[in-house]
Amino acid sequence: MQDVVNQVINTSFGWGWPSWAIALIGYLIVAALLFGIAPFQMLFLTLYERRAIARMQDRIGPNRVGPEGMFQPLADGVKIFTKEDIVPTAADQWVHFIAPCVVVAPTMFMFAVLPWGPGMVPVDMNLGLLFFFAISSVSAVGLMMAGWASSNKFALVGAMRAVAQMVSYEIPAVLSLLAIVLVTGSLSIVELINYQGGLFISTRDVASVPDWGLGWFIFSPVGFLAFIAFFIAALAEGERTPFDIPEADSEIVAGYMTEYSGMKFGLFYLAQYVLNFLLCAITSIIFFGGWQGPGVGWLYAQAITPVNPQGGWVFNVLAGVLGVFYFLTKTYGFFFVMVWIRGAYARLRIDQLMDFGWKFLIPLTLVNIFSAAIWVGLTKWGAADGLAFVEGWSPLVRWAAAFGVTLALNLGAYLFLARIFAQSQDERARQDDDVLEQLTNVA
Amino acid sequence: MTTETQHGSVIVMDRRRGKLRAGQGLLQGLRVVWDHWAGSFRKNDNFSKIHGTFTVEYPEERLPMPQAYRNMPVLLFDDESGHELCTGCYQCQRICPPQVIHITQAKDPVTGKMVPAATEFIIEYDACMSCGFCAEVCPFDSIKMDHVYELSTANRAALTMRKAQLNRSISYYTGIAPGLWAEVQAGAMKKLQGSIKRRPDVIGLAASLTEKIKARRLELAAAAAAAPAAAAVSAPAAPAAPAAKLTPEEKAAKLAAMKAANANKGAAPAPAEAPVALSPADAKAAKLAAIKAANANKGAAPAPAEAPVALSPADAKAAKLAAIKAANAAKQAEAAPVSVETAVATAPLDAKAARLAAIKAANAAKLAAEQGNNE
Amino acid sequence: MLKTEELQINIGPQHPSTHGVFRMLVTVDGETVTDLKPVFGYLHRNHEQIAEVNTYLQNMPYTDRLDYFNAMANNHAYAMAVEKLVGIEVPERAEYIRVLMVELTRILNHAGALGFLINDMGAWQTQLAFGMREREKILDLFESVSGARLMCNYFRFGGVARDLTADFMPRLKDLLVAMPAFIDEMERLLRENEILLQRSEGIGILPKDLALAYSVTGPVLRGSGVAYDIRRAEPYSIYDRLDFDVPVGSVGDVYDRILVRIEEMRQSKRIIEQVIAQLPDAQGGHINPKARQNVRPPVGDVYARVETPKGELGFYLVSDGSSRPYRYKVRAPSFINLTPLGDMCRGYKVADMVVILGSIDIVMGEVDR
Repeated sequence: MQDVVNQVINTSFGWGWPSWAIALIGYLIVAALLFGIAPFQMLFLTLYERRAIARMQDRIGPNRVGPEGMFQPLADGVKIFTKEDIVPTAADQWVHFIAPCVVVAPTMFMFAVLPWGPGMVPVDMNLGLLFFFAISSVSAVGLMMAGWASSNKFALVGAMRAVAQMVSYEIPAVLSLLAIVLVTGSLSIVELINYQGGLFISTRDVASVPDWGLGWFIFSPVGFLAFIAFFIAALAEGERTPFDIPEADSEIVAGYMTEYSGMKFGLFYLAQYVLNFLLCAITSIIFFGGWQGPGVGWLYAQAITPVNPQGGWVFNVLAGVLGVFYFLTKTYGFFFVMVWIRGAYARLRIDQLMDFGWKFLIPLTLVNIFSAAIWVGLTKWGAADGLAFVEGWSPLVRWAAAFGVTLALNLGAYLFLARIFAQSQDERARQDDDVLEQLTNVA
Repeated sequence: MTTETQHGSVIVMDRRRGKLRAGQGLLQGLRVVWDHWAGSFRKNDNFSKIHGTFTVEYPEERLPMPQAYRNMPVLLFDDESGHELCTGCYQCQRICPPQVIHITQAKDPVTGKMVPAATEFIIEYDACMSCGFCAEVCPFDSIKMDHVYELSTANRAALTMRKAQLNRSISYYTGIAPGLWAEVQAGAMKKLQGSIKRRPDVIGLAASLTEKIKARRLELAAAAAAAPAAAAVSAPAAPAAPAAKLTPEEKAAKLAAMKAANANKGAAPAPAEAPVALSPADAKAAKLAAIKAANANKGAAPAPAEAPVALSPADAKAAKLAAIKAANAAKQAEAAPVSVETAVATAPLDAKAARLAAIKAANAAKLAAEQGNNE
Repeated sequence: MLKTEELQINIGPQHPSTHGVFRMLVTVDGETVTDLKPVFGYLHRNHEQIAEVNTYLQNMPYTDRLDYFNAMANNHAYAMAVEKLVGIEVPERAEYIRVLMVELTRILNHAGALGFLINDMGAWQTQLAFGMREREKILDLFESVSGARLMCNYFRFGGVARDLTADFMPRLKDLLVAMPAFIDEMERLLRENEILLQRSEGIGILPKDLALAYSVTGPVLRGSGVAYDIRRAEPYSIYDRLDFDVPVGSVGDVYDRILVRIEEMRQSKRIIEQVIAQLPDAQGGHINPKARQNVRPPVGDVYARVETPKGELGFYLVSDGSSRPYRYKVRAPSFINLTPLGDMCRGYKVADMVVILGSIDIVMGEVDR
């Protein structure tokens, strides 16, 4: 962005402003765009979800307000804005007021490190991934604030459950990404995307592969298992079915959002949809290449970049448009999968949810890290690191060996863990009878 | 407990334990939902399909209601004559479970007699359960179930419907339920003609058909203008018009006269009268039986065992009893000939029953006479 | 050992998942339910007292409103009771039509009940929407023949109100084509689904002896392993001529009840096919015995029962010789099935409570009358 701004202001118009001004203008434009895009995404996603889930249920979904219901989210927004804002007198007023902001603000921060296209990242941090997940954990604090400040025991219980869920599922999310970080050796999101050029095999692993932008991590066993684990953890982070206990209305009450009405409730809602968008975005970035796709790499190579300041700005635009198109397609595709899962599955109980996260996903992701290490060893290490026997093999053979070993390991681990988990859940159901006896004997 | 019959058995449901559940069920579920999503871009318009959008976009599209659909009763009136079919018989008011129908039957303003029409007919739509009983029991097919369902209103009092609001033309009803009307049309129209004959003045015309009412009033006025003139012309003699009420003695005399006339005409002797006082039903049957007995005594071939007029079961029993009594009486009568006069004294006092008895006796005597002639 | 405090919470009467206005006083210890007391009566409409003031025929539309999901079944039980009391015989064709309507009701009840149960488990109405679609088709059939979708008021003493219309059979046959596809799809969606299994296996177990002690009937009883179906135990109408199986469960948990209901839908479809094949033609039967509706039964009492989709619905009528019942009592299956709710929920988590309630399949119209 800064390069484009620099080009426009200094070169085309020739005004010669100082670099800090260019940087400031660049950042302001990006921030304005993001603040415009984020709520817009949330509005669009609510409509998208309602229409998609309606079609899964043999019905149509909102189509009255505007063509195909396009203005339905606006109507919802008007409704939320005009509702009376009720705050219980016993509630802690300040905390009650700030809690929605604390939940929403981190989600806006997370946009800062998300690359939309080649060279189109607001802040190119070399710790982008860490920043992303660190910031997302802050919203758990906001949830706790909301539950506590409501001075409603059901809200408190609901908030505690929600926080427990979010915190528990952060771990498998991060661990699965850790496997990818091991493979790439970098925490920078931009670097992760750049790694995924190629054709089913990343060019970084086997240099002779043509760069069609399809060398995604999903095509390797490590990436595939990491994707499964990450997506499930993302469902839980974003409080989507089957992990939507916090917003379940068939439980005691509406959880931590009980005492909120009007726009504050709207903010919680907004935060949830924005977070889901971001999680879908990060899934598509890390496992499906983000803006990588056929054509983008080639276009970008001829655009204005830090390594190629003499490029044509047309290519910037084209590469950007195509990149954004790929990125958004993948993101909305994942959101469709989230809606699809919502339509198909029931909800897990809180204890089942915690069991699933701690007793199934975390061991799975730990095994995946082990696989990732094997992958790195077989594809990248040499005699200097202790693996002399792979030194003489061609890159393709090394890749194939890594593929085979990790595939066997991951598949075996998955089936083994699935069996153990299923058995433990069965026992759990029976254990309830013991509890039952115990309680009825005591009571 | 349930026994195992040859018609079926008891199946214990298979819980499918022991299969490794590693997510295949979840994927299957996703597949089912995907099929529905993909199929929802077509419309589901046939009962045999399970995929497709099942939505009917009301209010632009409306489903057609079947003929039998019932929601809220309405009253019918004939398009041609303008007469309402309702006679105010109270059957619907009686059967209505929540008792929301309130009828006021019409009265002839001149004579004060009840007329087969209704002056006011109220149905409380807000309490009506649309059970359809009123339409089922109506003997005149005048109250029928409408098909309206868009009745929401903020004014609850407006849901108390009066006759003017309940009236619908028969063409409206054939528009919504042609088959149901076709089944009952013939009988309903016939009964309507009967009702029209007994409705004086403009009673029974639907209040909204002001032209028809005006026309009828003119018609009646013209007839009234012509009638007094005609009445003045014809001789006021012969007051023996059947409209006048007869006193019991006059009736008995009439009866005797008719019998005498019959006796003189035919070969049948004066029917033997039972000297004991009988109830009207018994008297009827007695007379009939007496005629038969008389014929039998004549020695001619016995009259057909069964009565020439079809009697209802109750009447048949009474007839049999009376026949036995009459047979005894006939035997007694044979011993002592009874004059027609004494028979007259024992005639029943009830005017209508007497007339009916007279008619029946006359018919029976005629028939017996014919049979007697045929022998 | 930490001492925890027991908390008493109130679920309902206004609650999205209590299947009507129904209140549960739940005592929880942490997340586990230690005691549950159902409180109902919020929908009491004086049905039995009103029935004493109405004539026998006037009561027919009120029976529709007892279990408002299964109007035809309620009509059937009441018509049978009055016919038994008076001694009216029902012609063949009318019996076949009655069984047809009641079995269609069974399908539509189970489609809806399973949909609502899955909705309670959190599956956001997908199965419910599919079930409602099938219900719509059947309700359209009911509308074309009786005049109303839910409050059918179709049965009369000695037959049914109206004969089948010309468009009924073709649409019914189309529906029977869709039915196996619908049931198979439901099975595929639910039967092996790991999440559903986690939420329903081992939950809400009602042991056989307890079920019998509480006089529970219907799919709840059969789910607990007791093979008792009134259509087989005390056959009424023409059920002794029809082939069908009776599904039973083995454990008595929510999963078993789901399986039993799915299988009952299949058996109902089987029965309907036999009825269509054996239906006598219109000339053979007198459908609407208009003359016999204003009944005046002799002095005496009668108890007649049918197997409705929810269990045994019985009518106990006492006649004093007049045209209005002296005593009219309804043995409602949902009411009786609800009494073991406390025992079924004890020891399970709060989240399971709603699922267990949904698996009993109650309608408050019947419970409160």
